[in-house]
Amino acid sequence: MRRHIALRMLAHDRATTAGAVLGVVAIIFLVGQQLAVLNGLFTYMSVLVDHSGADIWITSEGTDNINSAGDLPTRYVDRLIGLDDIAWAEPVVSGAGFLKRKDAQFQPVRVVGVRPPRMAGGPWDYEVGDNSVLLDHDAVTVDWLDRRELGDPEIGDVLEINGQRCRVAAFTRGARGFSGTLVFTNEKKAREVGGVPDDRCSSILVKLRPGANPAAALARIRSLLPRAAATPTPELSANTRLFYVTQTGIGSSFGFSTLIGVVVGVVIIILTMYATVLNRQRDFAVFRALGARRRDIRVIVLYQALFIGFIGILLGFFLLAGFLFGTSGSRLPSFMPLWIPPVHALLTLGLCVVGSALAIRRAVRIEPASAFR
Amino acid sequence: MEPVIRLEGVARDFWDGVRRRRVLQPTDLEFWPGELTVLAGPSGSGKTTLLTIMGLVLAPSAGRVWVAGEEVTGLSEDALATVRLKRFGFVFQSAGLVPALSALDNALAGRSIQSDRVAPGLRERALELFDELGIADYARAMPTQLSGGQQQRVAIARALLGEPAVLLCDEPTSALDVDSSRVVLDTLKRLARDPKRGVVLVTHDPRVFPYADRLVKIEDGRIASDTKDKAEG
Repeated sequence: MRRHIALRMLAHDRATTAGAVLGVVAIIFLVGQQLAVLNGLFTYMSVLVDHSGADIWITSEGTDNINSAGDLPTRYVDRLIGLDDIAWAEPVVSGAGFLKRKDAQFQPVRVVGVRPPRMAGGPWDYEVGDNSVLLDHDAVTVDWLDRRELGDPEIGDVLEINGQRCRVAAFTRGARGFSGTLVFTNEKKAREVGGVPDDRCSSILVKLRPGANPAAALARIRSLLPRAAATPTPELSANTRLFYVTQTGIGSSFGFSTLIGVVVGVVIIILTMYATVLNRQRDFAVFRALGARRRDIRVIVLYQALFIGFIGILLGFFLLAGFLFGTSGSRLPSFMPLWIPPVHALLTLGLCVVGSALAIRRAVRIEPASAFR
Repeated sequence: MEPVIRLEGVARDFWDGVRRRRVLQPTDLEFWPGELTVLAGPSGSGKTTLLTIMGLVLAPSAGRVWVAGEEVTGLSEDALATVRLKRFGFVFQSAGLVPALSALDNALAGRSIQSDRVAPGLRERALELFDELGIADYARAMPTQLSGGQQQRVAIARALLGEPAVLLCDEPTSALDVDSSRVVLDTLKRLARDPKRGVVLVTHDPRVFPYADRLVKIEDGRIASDTKDKAEG
């Protein structure tokens, strides 16, 4: 009966119930949207690492994120190949450049050169074309979503990067970087564009043989190359994300926006639920007089909080799904890992319970004798 | 036979913002089953205070209270709530129906407020009571769709659903017209004939007195008179 009473009271006070539900929707949507965009940016930050297919990355000493790695001697590749545990080791040459658009405007890009035929560290998904196009000396790829930024190039268009002739040979999909528009090419072209000598490279990707012990292999690499940093791929990815979150304003900005979303939602929940209890003081007094214990009143208000939470969560995720659907394949980075929605929903439900605490406190203090006044 | 309620030296003080004021002087009273007792007195005489103490809704400042032979003085709030649920039926001045609940749900809430379920057979019993009280057609109606008299009869059904030992009514006819008042009072009088149940009714309306088996008059927080049988105004 307590559950039935709780639901009937909510249905009766539609306006205040809608207000409280709105608070939950605000939490789910605003926080969810912030998390989706933050995760979208995360994927941009470490996109090259996450899609490399390598087990270990060799970078210059002291590298705390892949986008600011220095250079390395290319001869390290030969040393690494000599180790038993290593299936392959491939250099990647990357550097900043200015792409001259068809309209003669310049656009900063990050050029990533990979070594044929393996093309390790190269594009992983194509809208038009495939890896084989990078065998062509002048070939470069641009991302499908970066076309407008790069002056709407077509396949076959000839452009210049740092004054070097390049030809758009393919469109990638989802290959977008955090520190600049990504343009993939082969190692030789990247050296030409970036002015990188043959004996230097930006990083070396290492793939271990099946069955190899990663920890032991890592230790061997570190002893072999004491002047370089050898980092497992997941660790380098996490370090890169952590660097941007802690060393730039992104972490605090998104954290603050998320906090504001939570605070606004919780305040709405607290005020509307409190208002509901205030409006229904006489009803609660009657319940108390009839024989409701304090815990029964708590249960009724708690049921109301949970019901408001469930409805708000459903509506909020419906809106959030619309946002994610609308922004998928757009220039706005948004990505929602599967573990976030259930955790987000549970935490929001917890906030509803916390938000109802003030209302519960008020409700249980209502004197049953007031039913007689 | 034992009294359904026994009060011994029960008194009540209130803090009026300046000083402590005794609104109910030490009172000894016993209420018996099968009897309709009217507590009468002018406004502010302490009759509702006495009723709420009897109903375990308000704690006395002094004195002891027994319900159906068991002393309830000093019980915890939750224990008192359970005694109220099991032993008492309340009819409030303005019916005290919850606007969000239908008439039937209001009746059921009185008995099922400590649980998430309605006990088996309770719904059927509620509908029987609605039928007995002449409001069977209004079981699904919301309180705002009922007249004052109908609301008060729903409140009576709610109070009776738990088969209480005592029915406590606080000015149940004060907001009703003459015809509705008569229906409600006839009903209460009929209910008081049950030898297992006592009915106590608080009023300041002399027209109610003829219905009383016993008339207790209160003035300035004291029992001014206690008359049994053929109570007169």
